Amino acid sequence: MSTPFSGILAGLIRHRGVKGCLVVGERDGLIVDSTVQFGVNPQTFAALTASLFRKARRAAQAAGFGDATFVQLEAEQGRVCAVGRGDLVLVVVAEPRVNLGLVRVDMLKATEALS
Amino acid sequence: MKLQVAADWVEAPLKAFVDDARAEIAVLMHPSGQVLGQTGFTRSVDVQTACALGAAIYASAGELGRQMQGKPFGVMHYAGQEKQIFLAPVPIEGGTLLLLSVFGEESSLGLVQLFFQDFQRAAARVAPQWKGAETALAGDFEAELNKNLAAMFGRG
Repeated sequence: MSTPFSGILAGLIRHRGVKGCLVVGERDGLIVDSTVQFGVNPQTFAALTASLFRKARRAAQAAGFGDATFVQLEAEQGRVCAVGRGDLVLVVVAEPRVNLGLVRVDMLKATEALS
Repeated sequence: MKLQVAADWVEAPLKAFVDDARAEIAVLMHPSGQVLGQTGFTRSVDVQTACALGAAIYASAGELGRQMQGKPFGVMHYAGQEKQIFLAPVPIEGGTLLLLSVFGEESSLGLVQLFFQDFQRAAARVAPQWKGAETALAGDFEAELNKNLAAMFGRG
């Protein structure tokens, strides 16, 4: 089933090292659209990542820095990146070897389409 | 938040659910409206009301589901402006319990669903076999309800 976000996700998943990308509701943590190639439950991942992004956004606002534009989580075996606009969060899951700069640019471009 | 339980086995899974899902209110009950544990309410009459309404909603939605699709609806979610309600069945050996949860901005439906799955698994593991028919249809329903409320709120 095609959604308004299918094109964005298809573009992001083509990056080398990207294992999954999801559009998630920030408030409810539910998946709107996704393309995933990793072995975890996407619903679980989406709920936790949306919560993380919401808290990061609130932390940035509480610090007086305005809205959080790009959130990155580095773990031993991968990275989770998130950008948000309105009620939606675009999440990318990638291997450590991913070209993060390129992915970041594409994610920030894609936020235009999220609202 | 203070957790009050009428059965010891309820405490650990309900506490884990409330902590992890950031629920503001959680009530575990029989589908008949008998309360087994709760957190978030301070008055027994509020718990009684929540149980009665939760059981009624579940029964109504179950019947509606049977009419429309031949089987009862499962999880119910209502999103209000500030608070959201989540009502879902918890299968245990010999029957089904209900979990009513209220959450706000600190949580989300996705998180509640996620940790509700953990709660279901934990409850199924530790709950004693429930003799559902006896509890639901017993003539001493009110006495049982009062006993459970007294156990939780410390008065008869």
